[in-house]
Amino acid sequence: MSAEDLRAEYLASGSGDSPRDSGRLDLIRGVLADEATWVEPPPQVVDALLAAVAREGSSSIKDPAAVGRARWPVVAAAVGSVAAVVALVFSTMSVLEADKEIVVAMTGTEIERGAGGQAAVGPSGSGWWIRLDATGLPPAPEGSFYEGWVWSDEGDGVSIGTFHLRGGDTPVTLWSGVEMAEYPSIWVTLEQEDDGPEASDLVVMTGRMPDA
Amino acid sequence: MDREVLERFRIGDEAAVKAVYDRFGGSVFALSMSILGEHGLAADATQQTFIKAWRAASTYDPERSFAPWIYAIARRTAIDMYRKQIRVVLSDEIEVAVYPPGLETAWEVFEVRSALDLLPDEERQVVKLSHFDGFTHIEISEQLDIPVGTVKSRSHRAHQRLVELLRHVEEA
Repeated sequence: MSAEDLRAEYLASGSGDSPRDSGRLDLIRGVLADEATWVEPPPQVVDALLAAVAREGSSSIKDPAAVGRARWPVVAAAVGSVAAVVALVFSTMSVLEADKEIVVAMTGTEIERGAGGQAAVGPSGSGWWIRLDATGLPPAPEGSFYEGWVWSDEGDGVSIGTFHLRGGDTPVTLWSGVEMAEYPSIWVTLEQEDDGPEASDLVVMTGRMPDA
Repeated sequence: MDREVLERFRIGDEAAVKAVYDRFGGSVFALSMSILGEHGLAADATQQTFIKAWRAASTYDPERSFAPWIYAIARRTAIDMYRKQIRVVLSDEIEVAVYPPGLETAWEVFEVRSALDLLPDEERQVVKLSHFDGFTHIEISEQLDIPVGTVKSRSHRAHQRLVELLRHVEEA
């Protein structure tokens, strides 16, 4: 029926019934029947895009891996020995490169003691996806939102996306463009919409990639 | 796209970026899915495409059509990502030009999805139920709990609009 509708309108539009026209029609029919044509992008894509744009302003994004890089404002970094860092990087990368999910336990801080859950981390074509499945984390109040971060032991925080949970929409998928082995800590902060791009000090959940 | 929005996009306005995403996010995602075939990768490719477009916005000429411009960025991004994935499988010593299987119809997927996103929701729904799910008009009327005549009129209007919007799509 749909094919007849399409063909009828196609002919009515003035297109002919030549092999070439039939080919065009078949092509359109094929695309309409393809699942790829109908799938919707996950909402986290636009959230992450707008977060990146907001962070960087209109003038100076240069390096994809640097999008959203921010100095963590409150927590002091504990830098281990060079050997320990190297060991951590290699051991974590070896697991991630095996294309397996890493599950990180997430725990609530004093601000949200009842929060918990887990973050599954896996490699994607351009970085790492982080699927956060949070429990006990209330929806962010109007005018605020949650922001995910990965954080290096040297004290650099990189935003991995925002969400608010007001639609009850867990789990949320975030995205990191930096190496998880170098940014092994995962944090969730509560941010106010009027605040700047820096992470707030309202850390509500934390977790850390396993050493091996 | 509204010319004013494109002008604002060109100078990097954030609200305009959102407006452009609302219009072309589905098309870029569909294109990425057709090339990469995997939801997570397509999401990454879509995000990268819009970030690249935003970065390069100052090079966009508002006198020219926007769709082919962002299509070119999306196609390039998805191909690059596909090749990175393939490289994991192939030996590092083998460097060959690898083209993904969905590339031949990438433009059509982009254009058809762009056209679908311009249809009213109720017409788009009828097109999906008939072409993708394979339902007849009667089955659609039962599914949506509306008269068959309404299904037919929506289908007629939807296909009329689609044909008009896709008039320029050439056979591959």
